[in-house]
Amino acid sequence: MLADLLTPDLFASAVRMATPLALAAIGGTICERAGVVNIALEGMMLFGAFMGVIGAMYTGSAWFGVVTAVVAGISLALVHAFASITLRTDQVVSGTAINILATGLTGFLMEVIFGHPGTTDPVRRLQPVFSFSGPGDGALATVWRWVDTVFLSYTPIVYAAIFIAIGGHWALYNTRWGLRLRSLGEHPRAADTVGISVVRGRYSAVLVSGALAGLAGANLTLEQVGSFTEGMTNGRGFIALAANIFGRWTPGGSYGASLLFGFADALQIRLQLFRDVIRIPSQFFLMLPYVLTVVVLASVVGRAVAPAAIGKPYEKG
Amino acid sequence: MAGPTVKPPRVATGALLREFMVPVVSVAIAILISSVIILLAGFDPIAAFAAMLKGSFGGGRQIGETMLRATPLMFTGLAVAYGFRAGLFNIGAEGQLFMGGLSAAFLGIALAGMPRPLNIVLMIVAGAAIGAAWAFIPALLKAKVGAHEVITTMMFTFIGRYLVSWLVTGPLRADGQIPQTERLPVESTLPRMHEVLPFLAQSRAHLGFVVGVLLALFIWWVLKYTSLGYESRAVGFNPWASETGGISVPATTIKALCISGALAGLAGVTEVMGVHLRLFDQFSAGFGFTGIAVALLAKNNPIGVIAAAILFGALSAGAGTMQLEAEVPAKVIFIIQALIIFLVAAEQLARWVIRKGGRQEVEHAG
Repeated sequence: MLADLLTPDLFASAVRMATPLALAAIGGTICERAGVVNIALEGMMLFGAFMGVIGAMYTGSAWFGVVTAVVAGISLALVHAFASITLRTDQVVSGTAINILATGLTGFLMEVIFGHPGTTDPVRRLQPVFSFSGPGDGALATVWRWVDTVFLSYTPIVYAAIFIAIGGHWALYNTRWGLRLRSLGEHPRAADTVGISVVRGRYSAVLVSGALAGLAGANLTLEQVGSFTEGMTNGRGFIALAANIFGRWTPGGSYGASLLFGFADALQIRLQLFRDVIRIPSQFFLMLPYVLTVVVLASVVGRAVAPAAIGKPYEKG
Repeated sequence: MAGPTVKPPRVATGALLREFMVPVVSVAIAILISSVIILLAGFDPIAAFAAMLKGSFGGGRQIGETMLRATPLMFTGLAVAYGFRAGLFNIGAEGQLFMGGLSAAFLGIALAGMPRPLNIVLMIVAGAAIGAAWAFIPALLKAKVGAHEVITTMMFTFIGRYLVSWLVTGPLRADGQIPQTERLPVESTLPRMHEVLPFLAQSRAHLGFVVGVLLALFIWWVLKYTSLGYESRAVGFNPWASETGGISVPATTIKALCISGALAGLAGVTEVMGVHLRLFDQFSAGFGFTGIAVALLAKNNPIGVIAAAILFGALSAGAGTMQLEAEVPAKVIFIIQALIIFLVAAEQLARWVIRKGGRQEVEHAG
């Protein structure tokens, strides 16, 4: 059974499942590094997923859908930034309002546009970037099947997430942008003193997190599923926040942690194929990512140190 | 500063009035903005809100439906408000509600044949206990390792939902096409309100509404006059000072989140005992999440929760009529909810409107 379980498809599925989590988690990392809590990743992802389908539907281009998804994420992020930075509203409360707003907007627009609740019409999905043909048989065929499936089988946003993780991680520690971003979350007053605009820096960080959450939504609808279903993000925005903490507020760590959650998700889907052998109700498999999130948080949080000024509005003084 | 010339009681009344005005004005602005959204979507906002009003307060049955919808929101609103008072955000009230519903559905069958008052008391106590238990692990993790309760209680919501989904499709499933538990015997249900108030004839409003109102008064008393309530508020206000003052922050955190969970569990109990009389997958219309909006609108005041729950209950009761008569999708009420949260939380807009309206009075109270 183990041989049936540990196939290249399992690992490829883990990478695919990890992608929306990783994009949102890196968004959370950037936002929290700047000192702004973003529990609205869930809502931004949901709205992005929906608007991605709408954009793709009206233009016939999945790529245009990706653009509208990112814009949708940014637009909700702008609301969050305005509320939490300019108006200095409690950031968690503002995030909650955005999550409820996204549920309402997607449900409302769904009925206005499609005339029914539930699931939208299907749209054309983004196709895998590469399609190579390898050796069909022989000893090399197995090796090739692993390489092809695990590394070369993905759609564009999956690769983009990997690049964003590596690039973002490098930039956080090696560029002026990264240093400034970190200073906003650790000691905004000091940043302000040396002439860094706290407000502008935090706005841009929140908007980037919205763009990434929107891209995560695009991955769900325009790469994985091909249509939008109400509430389809299913808590991924919150799992992404946990991944960000587990990854210790770094883009690379966020990606790694997301990979763990993605693997749990891929595993539970795969295990359901063996229901006749294992005889455990499917609901217990579905619980797995959520249980894992709690376990991970319980084991890591005491040792992970959050940015010092996280969640605190900044008042120039 | 007002100076000694202003009589203290006058200032207090004025301040209280303005405190009360912020939520009221926020709701008005939210309705205005959502009217624009309804208009942009190609519907008639006046017809929409007229239909909504008719569906929520247009007659005895409609008022009863509003009370019915307000009932679970009072419990979840109290749950979230109690958490907020202690500095905790119980975003997972929905999960505790599911567990409360589960315990009621299970116990209600087990207690068949017992006297009704006994069953009602036992089921309420058990549901509160299960709700508290479901909040206990997030509470423990918050107190001991600092794991944020927003993530953990949210995860427990998903876990609870899948648990209920398994039980109603498997071990607790009754015979029949639909996956649901057996119907509760009458001795395990809450009496309908129209039995004493004929005015509410044909509505499903049940005793849970009265329980909710009494509980709100009780929680108000607990927060204001008991050491438990004092400690919760102190920790919510300033954990460091509380610790210095001899209050155990971890112990208070655990107690407060469990109390919050117990209150949310009751929402599930009364929904099962009063409305559905059984348990199934989709028995809650997101009451746990709407409870957040209720608590914020009430500014975490238990008495305010009653009023806020009735408002959101009316929105939800009227939404169906609105969809039927004005063809506006009922989900617009979530947009209104979100707008209300923003406006109450940000306050500036409402305060500006109030200042413009009552410039004279503000200058006096100054």
